[in-house]
Order: sequence, then structure tokens, then C-alpha cells
Amino acid sequence: MVCPYAWDVPGGVQFHVRDIAEHFIRQGHEVWVLAPAESDANLPGYVTSVGRPVPVRYNGSVARVTLGPATSARVSRWLEAGDFDVLHLHEPLNPSVSLVALWASAEPVVATFHSAMLRSRALHAAHPLLRPSLEKIRGRIAVSEDALGTVQRHLGGMAFIIPNGVHVDSFAQAPVRSEWAGTSEAPTVAFLGRVDEPRKGLEVALKAMPALLDAHPGIRLLVAGPGDASDLLKEADPRAAAATVALGMVTDDDKASLLRSVDAYLAPHLGGESFGIVLVEAMAAGAPVVASDLPAFAAVLDGGATGILFETGSPQGLAHAVLGLLADPARGEHLRRAGRARSRIFDWGVVADKVMAVYETVIAGAAAEPEEPAPQGLWGRLVRGVPGGGN
Amino acid sequence: MVDVLQLATFVVIVLIAVAWYLSYSAARLDRLHAKAEGAMSALDAQLIRRAEAALELANSGVLDPASALLVADAATESLERTTEHPVTDDLLDGQHFGGREQVESDLTGALTAALPGEVVAGLRARADEFVTDELDRVAASVLRVQLARRFHNDAVRDVRRVRAKRTVRWFGLAGYAALPEVVVFDDDVPLGLPG
Repeated sequence: MVCPYAWDVPGGVQFHVRDIAEHFIRQGHEVWVLAPAESDANLPGYVTSVGRPVPVRYNGSVARVTLGPATSARVSRWLEAGDFDVLHLHEPLNPSVSLVALWASAEPVVATFHSAMLRSRALHAAHPLLRPSLEKIRGRIAVSEDALGTVQRHLGGMAFIIPNGVHVDSFAQAPVRSEWAGTSEAPTVAFLGRVDEPRKGLEVALKAMPALLDAHPGIRLLVAGPGDASDLLKEADPRAAAATVALGMVTDDDKASLLRSVDAYLAPHLGGESFGIVLVEAMAAGAPVVASDLPAFAAVLDGGATGILFETGSPQGLAHAVLGLLADPARGEHLRRAGRARSRIFDWGVVADKVMAVYETVIAGAAAEPEEPAPQGLWGRLVRGVPGGGN
Repeated sequence: MVDVLQLATFVVIVLIAVAWYLSYSAARLDRLHAKAEGAMSALDAQLIRRAEAALELANSGVLDPASALLVADAATESLERTTEHPVTDDLLDGQHFGGREQVESDLTGALTAALPGEVVAGLRARADEFVTDELDRVAASVLRVQLARRFHNDAVRDVRRVRAKRTVRWFGLAGYAALPEVVVFDDDVPLGLPG
């Protein structure tokens, strides 16, 4: 498996790769992961580093990538040493170690597309160059409808949708922390995500706070996530700022405990989310979810059956939804139960079984292909266009 | 004189470049054909497995007789078609589906009709290891058929896109290889099963 982003920096794709890899290892499969890393310290045994990522501007944002001849050499060595049955690449449309591995690969390739990429000039320009490499992909997986859209726009054809998974049990069994648990006089609501990223929507939550404080003077907004919230809090209503508790970055265990303890989890995102993994985590922990009515969130919440949806970007809508929830404990209890049941379908066990089915199908297809002689020497490689295939 | 030499060198270089490109394109096309062919074999194998799993479920006596008969009939039909037209002996090098779409759609329909959500839930509630096993096998083969068909169609699209290129058509790089076709049939069994 190849992960394009730095292993030791938290992110959705990294967690996805880690969880699937560890699940397969527990099942007794041999899994090796290739990923960039800031340092070689603290990498699990199955991860091989391709070096430090460097920031590069790409497609309107800064991507941290690992490139260059040294990387290519490391990728080739890794592929050779691994002698894999199947190579699973993540985000092969980004300029990253995944693309390098695709170029160098001779084994059956499965690719997973994570992001919702609207358009990319670079991809368009480099298309004729990339095409032959992309043709090596035998199985395509998209993590959401939006990611599927990316595949269709840039590659044509289809991909099989396998949504992300969550370790439901680790959230469901997390201990409740009394300092985060709400009472009837002082309920707690939680926000998770980068605080200084506007599209995560912390501002919407802060604007909804005055209305919540009018009804529940003791209510607290617990904010967990990296970034500096001081600017936002300065601009916000002073009462809202006073009722906000910034927890900063929290560990995975603390995140689970937080979601277990609070009376509601708020997801006021404004857009750009391809899959609401935090929503599944909240449901697994049994926190009633109040979320923007983004298509991705509505899909996770089963159209609103297992959580409350409000109009995206509307503080009134958010406040109304939270007040309704706090006023009706039976509804909260129902949502907790429905959410727990719903989160099961996103459990990694189910997801991993589907990914394994993809591997098996791809390996079966590759095994049934007519034999072709391995290209020999430089000329053979040039003509056959299979870099690294022969020797 | 010098000009002629220069021109000759230039022409030779261009010829080499063209020859390399044609040879490379032909090899690429060959690889894509091989990929489509492999994907077709995989699809064929998964369809056989699905039909076998369905037949076994029908014969296991856990379904009501009418549903069992329906599924058994569709599954047998599918298995017969496979043995009548083994993909491997095909004149078209295993790149076409031999008109089996309707038969496979019928099996999908039979499974859908025989296994609505409440029946599956009821069967699973028995917690009988044998029954659960049969259901898991059907569910697994249904998923694999879906995957195999999509991957095959992706492979076919790649072949067809490259074969539509002007260089490939003008120089006949595809040789006599048959143009593979996408396989379209209904494979969506909403089996109230996990996933």
C-alpha cells in the first residue's frame, strides 16, 4: 500500500491507510506501507519511509510531497523487495509518491480516490503523459460519491464506492470524562476540526451560541482541533467566547471520550467535505449529531434519520436544531441508539472485507491474462513502456 | 552535400521516432487487450461462483419452495450458458460475453425477489451457522460480480479509447483483435446484508 501524505501528520487518508493495513495484518495478511514521513522515529514496523515531504504549490493549495530521483529509487527498491501480489495506491491523481509507484509498478494495481477534486489544469496538461500509467490501474475505489465524480471527470469510467470505516468499538467503549459531560443546567456541545479553517464552520457554531445561551445559560461549547482560535473568539459575541472552551489538539482517546461525554456533536461545515468521518465517530460514540445538510453528511446520516440536519451556514438553523434536541431527551436517546446502529455499517471490518474482495477480483483478472514475455533491457523497456517491469 | 547529409540524418531520426512510437503504441494496446481479457475471465469465474452459491442456497431448503425454484432455475440457466459457451474456447479470444447478459440479469432478479430484506433478516436471526454461511457466500459472490463487471468495463473503455486514436486506426495497430465490448446487466441485489 502506498500513502501519499506524511505518515506522522494526522489526516484522513493516513488514518484510512493505517486502519485498513492494521486490520489486514490482524487477519494474518502481509501488508507493507510506503509513505513519506517527517522523521523515521515512531514509525510502525510495516511502514517504510520515502523521506521528508517538501511543500509545493499545486492546484491552488500547498501540497506536501516527496519527489525526486532519490524517491523514485526508493520506490523501485521497495516494490522489488516486497514482491507484492497487489499494489494499492491512494490518491494517484496527485503529484506524489503514489504516482511514482504507479509509474514504476508491474504488479496488479488498485487505486483509491479520496478527494473531491473539481478541476485540475495540471492534470489536464499532463494527461497524455499520465494516461499509459493510469491504464495500469485494474481496480478503482472511491470513498464517496464526490470522489467518484473526480474519477469520472478526470479518468472517465467508473469506480466502486467503498466508504471509509471507523473502529466503532473503540469509540463506543471510550470512558466518559466528567469535565466534558453535560448536566441538565449546563449541557455541553462539541466541535471538532481545524479551528482556523473557515470551511469547518466554527464561526457558524459561535454565531449560534447567543441563542443557545439565552435558553441554557450554563451551556458550554467544547472546541477540539489544531489551529489558533483567538482571532475568531475576539470577533465573536463576548458571551459566546466566554462559554467556549478551546481544548486544542486532542489525542484519539480524548476525542473518543469527548464524543462519548457531550450532549451533541456539531458539524457546521460549509462544504468541501467528501466524507464525514467525524460524524461516524460521533455516532459510534453515541453523541447525537447536528450537521449541515451537505450531501456527504446527509448520506452518512441516512438522510437525517440518524442525526439532525440544518441548513448549511445558518446559525439560526443550528441553534434551533440544538435547542430542539436539548428540550427533548427522548429524541436524544433515540438518536444515540440510531447513530450507534448506523455507525456499524461504516465499521472497518465491513470496509476491509470489500477492499479484500477488490484485491481478489483484480488478482484473478491479472492471473487470467495471457502471458507476455517480460521486457528485456533498455530497448525492451522503452518499447514495452513498462518501467521497472523486467529487472 | 552537407544539406543532403543533414536532411538524411533528420529523416532517419524522424523515422526512428515514428517507429518507436508505433511499436510502443502497439505494445500498449496489446497490454490493454490482455487486461480486458483477464478481467473478462475474472468476471466469468465470479458469475459461475455466484450461480453456484445461489443454487446451493436454493437447494438448502431454507427458502420457501417458490423462491427456491425461481432461484434454482435462474442459477441453472446461468451455469448452462457458461458451460455451453466457455469463454476460454471463444473465437473472439474471450473478449466478448456471448449474449449472457439477460441470463445474468434474470439471476439477479430472482435473487432480489427471493431475498427481500425481511427474509434475510429472518434467516440471519435463526443464527444457524449453515444458513448464515450460505447467505454470506451469496453476498460475497454478488459483491465480486459487481466488482469484476465494473473493472472489466473500465478495461474495455481503455482499449476502446486507445483504438479510437488516429495512429492506431491508420496503421492497423490493433491487428485482427476483436474490439471488446462493455458488459451491461443488472447485478444489483439489495441483499439486506452487511454493507
